[in-house]
Amino acid sequence: MSAEPSVEVIRGYLAAHFRAPDLALHDVERIAVGWSHETWLFDAAFTDADGPQRLGLCLRRDPGNALLRDLSSLRTQYEVLLCLDGTDVPSPHPYLYEEDASVLDGPFLVMAKVPGVCPSPWGREGRRFYTEAAARGVLPRSFTDALVAIHTLDWRAVGLDFLGVPGPGDDFARREIATWRTLISATGVEPDPVLTDVLGWLEANAPATERHTLVHGAYRTGNVLVHDDRVSAVLDWETQVIGDPMYDVAYVLSELNREGTDLLSNLVERDAFVRDYEAGTGFTIDVDVCGYYQVLYAMRSAAFWMSASGLYAEGRNTDLRLARTAWSIPVVLDQAAKALGY
Amino acid sequence: MALGADELLRSLAGALRERIGPAVGDPFARTQAFMAAVILEKLAGELAHAPADAAAAATERAALVVDVLALAPPGSAVATAATALADDGSDAAWNALVAALYAERATLGAGVFDGLLGRVRVALRARLDRALAYAS
Repeated sequence: MSAEPSVEVIRGYLAAHFRAPDLALHDVERIAVGWSHETWLFDAAFTDADGPQRLGLCLRRDPGNALLRDLSSLRTQYEVLLCLDGTDVPSPHPYLYEEDASVLDGPFLVMAKVPGVCPSPWGREGRRFYTEAAARGVLPRSFTDALVAIHTLDWRAVGLDFLGVPGPGDDFARREIATWRTLISATGVEPDPVLTDVLGWLEANAPATERHTLVHGAYRTGNVLVHDDRVSAVLDWETQVIGDPMYDVAYVLSELNREGTDLLSNLVERDAFVRDYEAGTGFTIDVDVCGYYQVLYAMRSAAFWMSASGLYAEGRNTDLRLARTAWSIPVVLDQAAKALGY
Repeated sequence: MALGADELLRSLAGALRERIGPAVGDPFARTQAFMAAVILEKLAGELAHAPADAAAAATERAALVVDVLALAPPGSAVATAATALADDGSDAAWNALVAALYAERATLGAGVFDGLLGRVRVALRARLDRALAYAS
């Protein structure tokens, strides 16, 4: 596990990068959520030819033991953010990516600190936040519109084809299964045979893809920043792919992302989402294909928890919350098994 | 009389949850103490039911092997995997059977494949239900 970087080291690096020797950091805050890349927020104050400046910044560092292991790279995140900059997809402006692990004991990227909050939809306060926002009626539409912006982006024009473009037919689904098989293999743990059945079923029933768009890969509340009842930034660009937009739609429609409410992602009425999404994209939601992708998401969740508990078992991460996720694997396998009829 | 292993784990979990955790000031460390309690309670439950679970698993596995061998063509990879499962109840042996089923799907034909998969899934559901007793 990487050591905590000192504020002075960050300050010195940014002072050199921005060629501002007087650069000072203010309001440094470590965001203590998630088990992925580590995040710090702060303001950088400095003077340049135009006078005093103050930049809100967000630094993300790869600790070397994040849950997605080799599946998630900060370099890719940075390159995706570069492509999205200036498009209709709300996203933070990326400033720099540093590959040299000797600077902060791991690669890191620095991007703009976007105004907004990101309540967790799993907690009581987060659920109340989204319930109240749903009642006001503005955020639900903004949530849908941000997904429409992702799916209608001309991804080739902005250079996102570097992510890899699936071939025709069922190639997208097969590539996605292969990707998550890689994570399962990386855990070094023998999968539960129900997971093997799920993987076999997914491969045998991979749907053909009608069209390819940018796909976020984990689009839900908790992965978007909210400011003034609007999505100010879509976050967590870790599992994005070029692929079937129904993959994102399936996740929005999934029961995985709502607890005790009929509101999708604790926020959006299903009928309103379907109406606004279809009108915004011109795509028709394919419920059967979404059902397939929901099984794929259950497989992903199992792989995710295998990775988490495996990191603890390997001694690469000492957080006991990771060890506890071993007992979450049967829960997601139960969802998948029920979807397959048993 | 000494505590059984599962009772000892439950006792440790109780101490972490009721006495140690609440006394820890640092939020992260307190969360770790409570999480340790959760894990120990789950392990205690698994330990307490391990003999009964193992017996049930062995009975179900033996019945499954008989049923699969009755349905699968002799000499097929499915039959080979089922024979191996008779002596080895590890996840790897189960996975070999499931993987063989999908690999031989075309040669088995839809009817036999569906019959075999349905039977295997009954056994997988029973395994899963036992795991769910401790899951969350």
